Amino acid sequence: MGNPVVQFQILSKNPDQTAQFYSSLFGWEVDSNNPMGYRRIQTGSSEGIQGGIWPAPPQAPTFAQLFMAVEDVAAAVKKAEGLGAKTIIPPTTLPEGDRMAVMIDPQGMTFAVCRKM
Amino acid sequence: MFREKLEQEFAARRAKNPRHSLRAFAAFLGADHSSLAQILRGRRRAPAAQIRAWARKLGLTQEEAAVYIAAEHVPDEATAHRQHQLRHWTAEALGIVSEPAHWDILRLSRTVEFEPDSRWIAQKTGLTVDQVNVALSRLLRLRLLAIGDDGKWQDLAEQAITERQFRKLALARVRQMAKE
Repeated sequence: MGNPVVQFQILSKNPDQTAQFYSSLFGWEVDSNNPMGYRRIQTGSSEGIQGGIWPAPPQAPTFAQLFMAVEDVAAAVKKAEGLGAKTIIPPTTLPEGDRMAVMIDPQGMTFAVCRKM
Repeated sequence: MFREKLEQEFAARRAKNPRHSLRAFAAFLGADHSSLAQILRGRRRAPAAQIRAWARKLGLTQEEAAVYIAAEHVPDEATAHRQHQLRHWTAEALGIVSEPAHWDILRLSRTVEFEPDSRWIAQKTGLTVDQVNVALSRLLRLRLLAIGDDGKWQDLAEQAITERQFRKLALARVRQMAKE
């Protein structure tokens, strides 16, 4: 199956304004009607990937993250750690069953590995 | 950095004349040769006033000199990394000290009625969903909460039975993770 990039996530200090900006700019639809109140972005196209917006911690700037699909999140985390990455959020199962972990690569870029339900 | 510029200039002069000494280069710049040696070894930084004067001797424009002076005020990579780490862990600790949301989430997760739903938690605590999610992310980062394969929230701070005990535990965790 490979390990495609399946999602982008914007971590924003002001998620509402970010949602407003990109909706106005690109016509993206943002829906937060789910258990985490996660702002899911539908870009309106079958091309490219879909995304989401999550509130950034106060110490971080607004930034974007990529989510890579993996078969086994825990195994991917272990492999990434072996290659020098650090785990920020350990493997976690979200309310709707998706599993994910957030890591930081040896160059300081954060990314996530996930397995969608 | 201006040190690299000085190194390049010195190397270029030595390439033309292998007998060109550091003392001669210092004399050309109008600099004290031991100070210049320390700057070239990276033991000290070139003061702004000297950068301006030396840049002129090297034929740089005022604008170019200003760039080198500004660059001297930018922290080096190691210092910037330390500052970033300090800012990160201080913010984590400050969040624990100043925002009761973390304890509220854990306290609620221990109740029978608990629903692992940020909107439900927000409603129960009077926080916004974003405030809940910022606190939730911090609890996960600090390994004070885990969400297992089955989606169940696992309280990893269960030994803390008061808010005060929780804060103490959480701050100890911040210190521990900052050291790692």
